[in-house]
Amino acid sequence: MNQTPEVPARSDTGTLLQVRGLKKYFPVHGGWLRGVQQQVRAVDGVSFELDSGRTLGLVGESGCGKSTLGRAILNLQSPTAGDVLLDGLPLAGLSRQALVARRKDMQIIFQDPFASLSPRRTVAQIVREPLDVHRIGNTRERRQRVEELLEVVGLRSNALNRYPHEFSGGQRQRIGIARALALNPRFIVADEPVSALDVSVQSQVLNLVTMLQAELGIAFLFISHDLAVIRHISDEVAVMYLGRFVEHATADKIFSSPKHPYTRALLSSIPVPDPTSKSPRPVLEGDVPSPMSPPAGCPFHPRCPVATDRCKTEVPKLREAQPGTEHEVACHLAT
Amino acid sequence: MSARAEVAVSVGAHGDSLWSKALRKFRRDRVGMWSLAVVLAYAVVALGVVLGLWAGDWADVSGPKWAPVSGEYWFGTNIIGQDIFARSLYSTRTAFEVGLVVALGATALGAVLGSTAGFFSGSWIDEVIIWLMGVLDSVPFILLVAAISYTLQGSPWAMHIAMIATFWIGTARLIRGEVIKLKSLEYVEAAHAIGVSRFMIIFRHILPNTFHILLVQATLSFVAAIKSEVILSFLGLGVKDGMSWGLMISESTFEVLAGFFNNFIAASVLMFGLVMAFNMFSDALQDALDPRTVK
Repeated sequence: MNQTPEVPARSDTGTLLQVRGLKKYFPVHGGWLRGVQQQVRAVDGVSFELDSGRTLGLVGESGCGKSTLGRAILNLQSPTAGDVLLDGLPLAGLSRQALVARRKDMQIIFQDPFASLSPRRTVAQIVREPLDVHRIGNTRERRQRVEELLEVVGLRSNALNRYPHEFSGGQRQRIGIARALALNPRFIVADEPVSALDVSVQSQVLNLVTMLQAELGIAFLFISHDLAVIRHISDEVAVMYLGRFVEHATADKIFSSPKHPYTRALLSSIPVPDPTSKSPRPVLEGDVPSPMSPPAGCPFHPRCPVATDRCKTEVPKLREAQPGTEHEVACHLAT
Repeated sequence: MSARAEVAVSVGAHGDSLWSKALRKFRRDRVGMWSLAVVLAYAVVALGVVLGLWAGDWADVSGPKWAPVSGEYWFGTNIIGQDIFARSLYSTRTAFEVGLVVALGATALGAVLGSTAGFFSGSWIDEVIIWLMGVLDSVPFILLVAAISYTLQGSPWAMHIAMIATFWIGTARLIRGEVIKLKSLEYVEAAHAIGVSRFMIIFRHILPNTFHILLVQATLSFVAAIKSEVILSFLGLGVKDGMSWGLMISESTFEVLAGFFNNFIAASVLMFGLVMAFNMFSDALQDALDPRTVK
């Protein structure tokens, strides 16, 4: 599938993506002379690493900064602070042209299959555009590549000259995936790619993503609020709350022995398919605090069932609960 | 189901674009088709004048003063014996010239400035364009034409320029709002992620999705320009070298006092017919292009 001569040799192992202390604040204008009044801390200091070919599932409630984190990593929204390194090379401070060149390696799949495709362009034009922008191949090669991509995502080539509105949601999502794959990216942010689809179609698209990952060795940042989906697709899981990671470990560890009270509450919200089950389930009360004025101390303490006085004043750092376990949690009480 | 399973595509006709859908919808709109026919008939008259097929004698003083309607003078003659029918036909050409020039100029300007403002909304570029719109909007239209006309030393284009200078504002405001909406959609974000330049994003991904608005705005500007031309010519600020419905009505003010209405009726009825037909065409176009109306 790789037909571009200038693509460097790829190592399929090792760290692909490094995110260090990433922050994205949105200024809120208002008041006298529209000065900056407050800041929305959408992403407030996130650090992690992702290896080639792995999937990091990112979960959290609406508005916790999941999508903003994905976009800040891709520099679609320029980060307020922090570094993103792809293959050890920073993305910040690049010229516009240099950044465009790096975009070959990182792509995004969107949530809304009806907003993510331009209504006045044919499928062929949509999937071909990345090849046009990066001047890959000649006209004939580009057409071949587009047909190949449609086949990969499971669409017939008679889709080529059709317009997005002629397709169903699942088919449109496949078109979006074909576009994201066109440049042979090594890293893809999948921003709730199945949330807008019917359950039956969800599994088709998820299987497609899993298959692509196995065949092409692409690393995914898979954003979702659906824990079942995350469990199905992820190697590692990060739980996000108010712009920060509160827990980060392998999927097995997160789902078998969650350490953060927030993660436990989230997991307990998965419905149990047994009407007689009476196991006690911690239920989250209250709403997520405003990211404009997050609470002092641990951002979760106002809703936490086990919060202590220490939680109200001291911000917990993301740390390994027990050294060497690679199970990171941001809670004073977790062991 | 295997992820590789081919997904059958079986909806709609092959390659059925939004435009061809709109065309089908428009074809089924009777009022729209009839009004389009009327507009085209006017257009043929105007084209004939341009090609010199008829009404070349509109300025000739050939007949008696105030001749009544007859086989020779279909609409009669005016105070100095000019053929009102020929003058009416020639005025159709003037109306189309003014309408087309102003509609194209105002829509193009509105599209470029409106989309620029929308794309860079919140930045100083947006502020400058909004300020410009506010300033031009605040000058009374007829005063502005008079000022431009005076500045250009009575150039025949003063009226066109003045209309373009004011008519683009409405289009620009609409397009600005639409662009602000469109630029936050995911397909524009996808274009950013692919690495498409900002220039190409505006012209390839955003503007084409405002074409339906531009088309309707162009037809509305066309009608507004024809109406304004009549008013301005009546006031002596409009057409300088030629004939127009406005000038005919202006001429008729003396004739009406003397009980001769031919000039007035000919110009008014012809203008009413074109404006009415064009307005109805514009409405039908709007319906056809609106994906929410189902017919």
